[in-house]
Amino acid sequence: MGEAERIVAALPEERLHEWVLEQRWFASKAREVAHLGVLEAVTLRERSPALVLALVEARFHTGTHELYQLPLGLRPDDEGWDDRVIAEVEGQTVYDALADPALGRDLLGRLRGSSDVEGEHGSVRFRSVGDDDARAARGELEVRPVGVEQSNSSVVFGDELILKVFRRLEPGVNPELELLRFLSERGFEHIAPLAGWYEYAGRLVNATLGTLQEYLGGAREGWALCLGDLEGFVGHARDLGAVTGRMHACLGSAAGDPDFASEEPSTESLSLLTATVDEEIERMFVDLDYENPVLGPLAGRSLDVRERLQALSHISAGGRVIRTHGDFHLGQTMLTDRGWVILDFEGEPARSLHERRRKRSPLRDVAGMLRSFAYAASAAEQQSGIPAPEGWEDSVRAAFLEGYFEAVDSSLLPHGQEATGKLLSVFELEKAVYELRYELNNRPDWVAIPVAGIERLLDADDEPG
Amino acid sequence: MTESGHWFEAEPLWFKTAVFYEIHIRGFFDGNGDGSGDFRGLTEKLDYLQWLGIDCIWLLPFYKSPLRDGGYDIADFLLIHPDYGVVEDVRDFIEQAHQRGIRVIADIVMNHTSSDHPWFQESRSSPGNPKRDWYVWSDTVHRYEDARIIFVDTETSNWTWDEQAGAYFWHRFFSHQPDLNFDNPEVQDAMLEVLRFWLDLGLDGCRLDAVPYLFERDGTICENLPETHSYLKRVRAEIDANYPDRVLLAEANQWPSDVVDYYGEGDECQMCFHFPVMPRMFMSVRREEAKPMYEILAQTPAIPHNCQWGLFLRNHDELTLEMVTDEERDYMYTEYAKDPRMKINVGIRRRLAPLLDNGRDEIELMHAILFSLPGSPVLYYGDEIAMGDNVYLGDRDGVRTPMQWTGDRNGGFSRADFAQLYAPPLMDPVYGYQAVNVEAQLRTPTSLLRWLRRFIALRKEHPVFGFGTFEPLEPSNPRIFAHVRRYEDDVMLCVHNLARSAQAVELDLSAFEGRHPEEIFGRSRFPAIGQLPYLLTLAPRGFYWFQLVEDAADDG
Repeated sequence: MGEAERIVAALPEERLHEWVLEQRWFASKAREVAHLGVLEAVTLRERSPALVLALVEARFHTGTHELYQLPLGLRPDDEGWDDRVIAEVEGQTVYDALADPALGRDLLGRLRGSSDVEGEHGSVRFRSVGDDDARAARGELEVRPVGVEQSNSSVVFGDELILKVFRRLEPGVNPELELLRFLSERGFEHIAPLAGWYEYAGRLVNATLGTLQEYLGGAREGWALCLGDLEGFVGHARDLGAVTGRMHACLGSAAGDPDFASEEPSTESLSLLTATVDEEIERMFVDLDYENPVLGPLAGRSLDVRERLQALSHISAGGRVIRTHGDFHLGQTMLTDRGWVILDFEGEPARSLHERRRKRSPLRDVAGMLRSFAYAASAAEQQSGIPAPEGWEDSVRAAFLEGYFEAVDSSLLPHGQEATGKLLSVFELEKAVYELRYELNNRPDWVAIPVAGIERLLDADDEPG
Repeated sequence: MTESGHWFEAEPLWFKTAVFYEIHIRGFFDGNGDGSGDFRGLTEKLDYLQWLGIDCIWLLPFYKSPLRDGGYDIADFLLIHPDYGVVEDVRDFIEQAHQRGIRVIADIVMNHTSSDHPWFQESRSSPGNPKRDWYVWSDTVHRYEDARIIFVDTETSNWTWDEQAGAYFWHRFFSHQPDLNFDNPEVQDAMLEVLRFWLDLGLDGCRLDAVPYLFERDGTICENLPETHSYLKRVRAEIDANYPDRVLLAEANQWPSDVVDYYGEGDECQMCFHFPVMPRMFMSVRREEAKPMYEILAQTPAIPHNCQWGLFLRNHDELTLEMVTDEERDYMYTEYAKDPRMKINVGIRRRLAPLLDNGRDEIELMHAILFSLPGSPVLYYGDEIAMGDNVYLGDRDGVRTPMQWTGDRNGGFSRADFAQLYAPPLMDPVYGYQAVNVEAQLRTPTSLLRWLRRFIALRKEHPVFGFGTFEPLEPSNPRIFAHVRRYEDDVMLCVHNLARSAQAVELDLSAFEGRHPEEIFGRSRFPAIGQLPYLLTLAPRGFYWFQLVEDAADDG
């Protein structure tokens, strides 16, 4: 065991515990955690500042556990490093390596070098993709940690590359890596191309640790763009629909690759979906507090919603299931010089990896975007105090769907407009129910948005848009 | 790194909290329309199994076989029966299951082969054949005379004369299933080789069929011999060395005090079926008293921490009554096998729902008891929709009829002509596929299938049911089966009413004074526990599972 690994192994559990619990990517609460421990520590850089990749396990009182990735930096105490410090151990400051530009650069170097580093129980493998020499030639890049998301942390290199480090690890290939590779190989242009990735393989787990992608400098994020100019956005929505349709057509095009080949949905697939959504609705209504006036429109309507779902599910299956984006909304899109670019193929972070990898109807992504428009309308009003223009949501939906249906391979969709519309509504309902639960727990001010979404589905006709 | 480790974290004790699901591949789903279930069909139904929430599939034997004993008569361990596909299909199926977070174990019959197996054909061919000693031959039937006959309905002796060999061969089961001779080191090695083949292909473990009978010794009943245990330790050492996270599950239909020997010191099988608890659950429900269950659980010794019981309500065999007293057996036959056709060997060949007169409350209660006990539940395909049985089919085929997927032709099991099906699907008005099928129950929020899925999810949220202690309570009312499960901070109180009538019960919960029972299905809070006996009332065949919650704020 090297010196750096020995120091990481000697990290006091209380300090690690305290630090991990403060992190946004760590979702569980303090009282639930029974034990935190380093299961594997791989030294990526011996010289000071040292870099150790630690895999940390959190065990919970109920007997379950979760695995996290912690790239750790080590510097002698006397250097006085004070950013994202975890502990001082034997004269060394141990801290989050992603805060340290020198170590970020080191990780990037590893990625470009496509090397393997052996640990005690397994190895960390770095892989570079494509024509990286040109970028490397441009010399030392500025390293900038960026905002933390729910399940990962990112570092930007210059204005050229962005490294996404997955914090919560699950066994198997992360769909982000899988989909980026697939779409890159097939020449789908509306993504930020993959430049590399790294992964861990060993007895403990095989898991994707991070992805390196081209950074989209100067691009405008879809959500901000939409909020900034609702009416102007209708003009972009058609293109966004078309890019989405092309993405699905591409994802459904690989007959020979079992991980991606489009499939006929099994006879009970629609029933499984409906049963699942139905139970989510039921659970949600059990928890609703009708004292809350915002929930008024839903009071006593549990059966209406469930009957609506039943009615929507009376279609013959049909269409195909494919790998999808999985968590599609305006926040995952950017408008660039070369048009719309789609980001974040990880899927919904709250779902397990095998669920996120499941093939589904592409309409589930479409529903996600339609719900996102509803959110944009409300968020714009919250920001500016001015309600969205009358009929805005209908126009933006119509524009998006028009672009989508023109571009997508129609064999992926159920036969006929009515069936397509109904299935789309089932997914919108699923999404709105999920949103309502989320907002009730996290953002009470936003509860009215999914409530309106559910109401809309109760009263709507069945045609798409 | 083996291929199948790819989709799971290292977790040597995964089986302790797993829900298993037993599948007769012939009867599950026909993927190629030839009238018999197959691996491709099974792969198509993985989404359903994932939705149901099961963790591990247990497959009945799928090897090359003349099928004179449902595939337990194996004619080649390394080939699969042509009706089910090819070895590549098995590999695909395992990979697809793993990608969905589902593990797969399969039956391996160690004790015997089919008489069609090339090993036996060689062995019988001449006394000088190198494989002669792979089976147990004798010139006389007067050896191992203390060994009982298991299949009493069809067999009169454990010895059968083989004309070609000019000798008697030993068989503990059917006379077309000669026992392998485990005294021969070559046989021991050959079986290990078979195990390696399937584990290399990705299987997450094996159910070792008929494991108590591997060795024979005069003057013994030829069951549970020390030599058998040493061999199992050898198998386990091989697994631990080369196949992490794989599980050995022993089928040892024995009393708990003998079965625990198959755990060794945690160095033989990780799992064993608990056979005797099952008939006592049925007895308790019929007699409306908890005593039979309390008794058998009290007789169940502690097991090593890295081991687990396998628990089940019904399986592909008869409801076995070997591990009950004569008096109890008579009772079970009178109550559960009113038609003599329902009896087979020492047991009853019926499915769960017919045994319980299709009573929804009873089916739920039995699942609740099963899920509450220390062990991993093993569900039997079709029982989740309350499928029935067909006593007019021979042997145990009546509980192995086609899975009922839809109300369409052949119950949605196969696109083949009806006459091509390996067995007719049930068509009677109560249990037939038009009344009982997956599709209809998926669409009915109150169906057994939907209820069971919620129940499986609930059990899996609480690893206490896999890891926790079992602490029986002494209810004031003999019709109530109540106990506490405890693991770290998670404390569960499980109370079941075995009676057909509403009951009240007082429980001494003073050890948990100050905690609040929280009913875990609806998360309703009950009054805090004090020093006095805790009073509960339960609906007929009703049950409650409470989490005993400790909290600072006493907001009652």
